[in-house]
Amino acid sequence: MDLSGRFGARSGNGVPFREVTGLESLHLGGGDEFRQMVLPENGGGFTALLELPPTRAVELLHSSSSSSSQATLHSVGTLTFPSNPILMERAARFSVIATEQNPNGNISGETTTSSVPSNEHIKTEPAETETSDQAAVEKQNNRCGKRKDFDKKVKSSTKKKSKSSEENEKLPYVHVRARRGQATDSHSLAERARREKINARMKLLQELVPGCDKIQGTALVLDEIINHVQSLQRQVEMLSMRLASVNPRIDFNLDTILASENGSLMDGSFNGTTMQLAWPHQVMETEQSYHHRQLQQPPPQQWPFDGLNQPVWGREENQDHGNDHNSLMVGSASLHPNQVKMEL
Amino acid sequence: MQPTSSMKEEFLKKWQMGLQIYRPLIDNTSVSERRKAIKLSADVAMASLRRGTTCWSRALIQKTATEDNFLVRQMLSGIKAETLMNKKLPKVMCHRKIVRRSKKILMRRKSKSVSEEIAAKARKLVKRKTQGLRNVVPGGEFMNNDVLLIQETLDYIVSLQTQVNVMRSIVDAAEAGIER
Repeated sequence: MDLSGRFGARSGNGVPFREVTGLESLHLGGGDEFRQMVLPENGGGFTALLELPPTRAVELLHSSSSSSSQATLHSVGTLTFPSNPILMERAARFSVIATEQNPNGNISGETTTSSVPSNEHIKTEPAETETSDQAAVEKQNNRCGKRKDFDKKVKSSTKKKSKSSEENEKLPYVHVRARRGQATDSHSLAERARREKINARMKLLQELVPGCDKIQGTALVLDEIINHVQSLQRQVEMLSMRLASVNPRIDFNLDTILASENGSLMDGSFNGTTMQLAWPHQVMETEQSYHHRQLQQPPPQQWPFDGLNQPVWGREENQDHGNDHNSLMVGSASLHPNQVKMEL
Repeated sequence: MQPTSSMKEEFLKKWQMGLQIYRPLIDNTSVSERRKAIKLSADVAMASLRRGTTCWSRALIQKTATEDNFLVRQMLSGIKAETLMNKKLPKVMCHRKIVRRSKKILMRRKSKSVSEEIAAKARKLVKRKTQGLRNVVPGGEFMNNDVLLIQETLDYIVSLQTQVNVMRSIVDAAEAGIER
């Protein structure tokens, strides 16, 4: 993902760093927020969202050395979000020592042992957060050599770090490296951690909402998000209106047929549950023959109505199904309208 | 993050379950009533997918409960009966007004440089936008935490997308069936 100054308008305007709250001041995100995203903060909803088991991220953190992670950095580039290996690479890149609200005690235990290799990640963090992504890769190589220059920074924050690494075993803490010219008291650290969390989630939102990648500035991005949500809500209303204006018999009965068909497909058996429905006999037969064809083809978990509306599905489900399914869709789509013609 | 097939299937099943509750009332001939029934059952189905883990789902269920208590109770089948009783008062709203007023008084005293003024205006703009986002997302008024707000928005957008996809395919199927 491109980490260049998307919010450069804000961070590059010469305003000195100040402790402002909320979404107002954004700079390029640091590392720990990705871990917090990955781990279940809100009871599984978010990991379900990201489809990334937290333990795998931990493994990746330990297994990847700095060199390998740098090698993978080149490939991260401008890839789209919804692919797990890329997210895991990113999690490895932005390594974190510990996390908040960690229900899994193992993770905080493991991360203490990995404090040494992750130091390299942490030290390269400030470089990344201040510069663009592609430049940061080269700079990381430089930073490793120039680590002596950062002794000053290290000394100022070693006390905090040693204290926090001690507390690591007892409590899950968020570790944030203080940058040059930054206040190191607890309030500003907490503020900064919070801001980085917000930044990370804003990035996720940007990837989700189409057309937000190009926009710079928080306010405009938020505008786009609001518009998108409103348009989705309006679409739901429109669709429910259309469905209601269709013959009521069809919309309610069609759904019951779908329900039973879904159930029978889930079981893998093809029983006559459709017989019990109050629907003309012909439709049941056509549905059955349609689904019979469907069953013989690859995976049964595939949603039974894949072939039903080929233009719609082709548009929206291209990411879910590979090319081998397209032929399936075309074949079935031509089948169904003919059958429906028969009974109506 | 795009909606997955399993999410769509679950949503479809729950939605149909909700629609079947309306099935004996199929004689409510008015289009608007049917539309309302469809939309409400779709909303509750979408919210129940999250099983009360997210703030917006709880708020959405509460909202539909005010319109059709029976439907919600049936659809959730008593698992989450307590969420119906759970009412959060928007008491925070009063605080915000007082805070805003006192801030205005304080702002008058300070003299600002140009760059500070620009930053302050930008911050105000962002605050207004976040308030707008809170108005759109169900239950947003209770999310004073910005992190939580964005998280909820993410989840809400994905759920809305599944809802739209499923409904659109059903509508297309139904309309295609009619035309032929």
